[in-house]
Amino acid sequence: MVSLSDTAPVASRRPRRPAFRRFTISNVLIAILLLVCVIWLVVPFGMAVLWSLLDPSVRWEYPDVLPPALSFARWIEVWNTTSLPMALRNSYILAPTVAVTTLILASPTAYAFARYDFPGKGAAQVLTLLPLVIPGFVLAIFFSALIFSLGIYSRFLSILLAHSVLFLPYAIRLMTVAFSNVRLDLVDAARDLGASPWARFRVAYWPALAPGILASLIIVFIQSIEEFAVAFVVGAPNFTTIPSILYSYLGYNFVRPNAAVVSLVLVIPNVLLMLGLERLLKSANPAQTGVKG
Amino acid sequence: MASLAAKGISKVFEDGFQALTDIDLVVEPGEFVTLLGPSGCGKTTLLKTLAGFYDATTGTIEIGGTDVTAAPPEKRDTAMCFQSYALFPHLTVAENIDFGPRQAGVPKAERRDRLEGLLRQVDLEAHRDKLPNRLSGGQQQRVALARALAMRPAVVLFDEPLSNLDAKLREQVRREIRALQKEIGFTAIYVTHDQSEALAMSDRVVVMQGGRIDQVGRPEEIYARPETAFVADFIGAANLVPFEDMGGGRVKTPLGDLRAAVPPAGNATFICWRPEDVELVEAGAASENVIRGVVRDRAYQGAHTELHVATGDADLGLQRLHVAGAAPAEGAEVAFRLGADQIRFVRGALT
Repeated sequence: MVSLSDTAPVASRRPRRPAFRRFTISNVLIAILLLVCVIWLVVPFGMAVLWSLLDPSVRWEYPDVLPPALSFARWIEVWNTTSLPMALRNSYILAPTVAVTTLILASPTAYAFARYDFPGKGAAQVLTLLPLVIPGFVLAIFFSALIFSLGIYSRFLSILLAHSVLFLPYAIRLMTVAFSNVRLDLVDAARDLGASPWARFRVAYWPALAPGILASLIIVFIQSIEEFAVAFVVGAPNFTTIPSILYSYLGYNFVRPNAAVVSLVLVIPNVLLMLGLERLLKSANPAQTGVKG
Repeated sequence: MASLAAKGISKVFEDGFQALTDIDLVVEPGEFVTLLGPSGCGKTTLLKTLAGFYDATTGTIEIGGTDVTAAPPEKRDTAMCFQSYALFPHLTVAENIDFGPRQAGVPKAERRDRLEGLLRQVDLEAHRDKLPNRLSGGQQQRVALARALAMRPAVVLFDEPLSNLDAKLREQVRREIRALQKEIGFTAIYVTHDQSEALAMSDRVVVMQGGRIDQVGRPEEIYARPETAFVADFIGAANLVPFEDMGGGRVKTPLGDLRAAVPPAGNATFICWRPEDVELVEAGAASENVIRGVVRDRAYQGAHTELHVATGDADLGLQRLHVAGAAPAEGAEVAFRLGADQIRFVRGALT
């Protein structure tokens, strides 16, 4: 206690230095990061919002920083004149189905990658990543031919199959990590304590798998919602998804405000989902902490 | 009725490796038995076979009088304390301890009594609602023990439970485990490679080597009367010297002719004596069992000084002596006497 009061002046001087250093390095880094975020995310997003709210009666041209008049007219127009309502329904039925199918297809492969050593495992792991490097249109053109020669005429089923193949790499990767996070000693401990197979799954597998399952579902969902090439080549013109409508506004009949409306319809739910994913991954953290002495 | 009886256990893995050969082991209720041996001796394999994680290739296992040879771990009346603790990371301390009884369908009131009792016994009442990763290693170890004890098992199996703790904590937790074992009276089989842990905790020590049991006995017996060269060498320090039997307890060794109180058994291969069993004598003393040599190396250990002494036979290596009080300097010529009753005969080869 005595020595503490003796050194008090020194102690009060000391913390200032790291605080100062923190200011110079971390704060500058944070500032740069914020700037990048603003340029890459906030500005385009803000522009899209403003463009989508631009009143049809006015034009937004060079000297104006902000649109002269705002209204929801574009939103109403797009909703009433395009097949957006149907595309929304299609996309939001398709994407969850793709997410679940992909997860189910990926899990056995991921389990094998995480748990077993077998000859050719490295090659197999590279092979499962291949769909990532094939351009969507290339896949779409040949996949549609394959689908028709197989006699599958359901557009929904065709896109479902194509998307599942296309996004399997993500699910396999995420689930491989999830399965290798399952601690075998916990499985053994649960058995030793008399747990039934279901209780074993709940206590030893689920906490480690849950973040991977959620991440896989959400990422594949978002990918499927945003995918254009396959959905367009295989689905058009009968089966419309949101990106198909968005692309119809590009090219010859380019209408920026309407494109902005569709972009926002596409993007906003995805951003919300990503934020939700962030949360879920954070809250699942204790399951992954190891043992320390 | 024995808590656990294993007869003729052997274990051959799929790749053909024979991990256990002809293991016989009987553990009485309330007994604390240690499986001791170097890594790869099969002690953990034996423990996992007793727990049911491995199927024994041959032999039978009875736990609490029931044959469980074919039963899976969840059907055996054992509970294991894992080396990694294996606490469920997303369950609180209380939920971890309560896990086994809940699975077993123990009535709620009974479960609460067990939980409260165990939390008190392992002194974790203040931490009951914490997640395991908020606890220190020693506390996690106690949760693991409480979780095992909540099953009221016939036998608690410990798989090197202290190897993740630092030296000081290890000694403390070791005392706690032993004190709890005496208080509650559970039966324990404890795997370790640490001989001092085994000697300090056990009622009986099972020394294993190469998948076989070398010797079983009380710690004092294992230390004072090792039966094999391996046991003598592995438990504590020992000087092992080859000999030739001259009859009547007289033996010819590279250290000179010695007389042992008890004559060697037919299959004995070495004489064995402990470093602390010697008495320094005057250089000129003419008496039986006196050996002369030169101190090559000297290490002060506090309670004693360890001397490494070169004797006449250079091929034999240095003999280890523990001398209390003032010890001769390096390079000094020394003479020491071995009591006839401190010379033991051991069988087997040195590994």
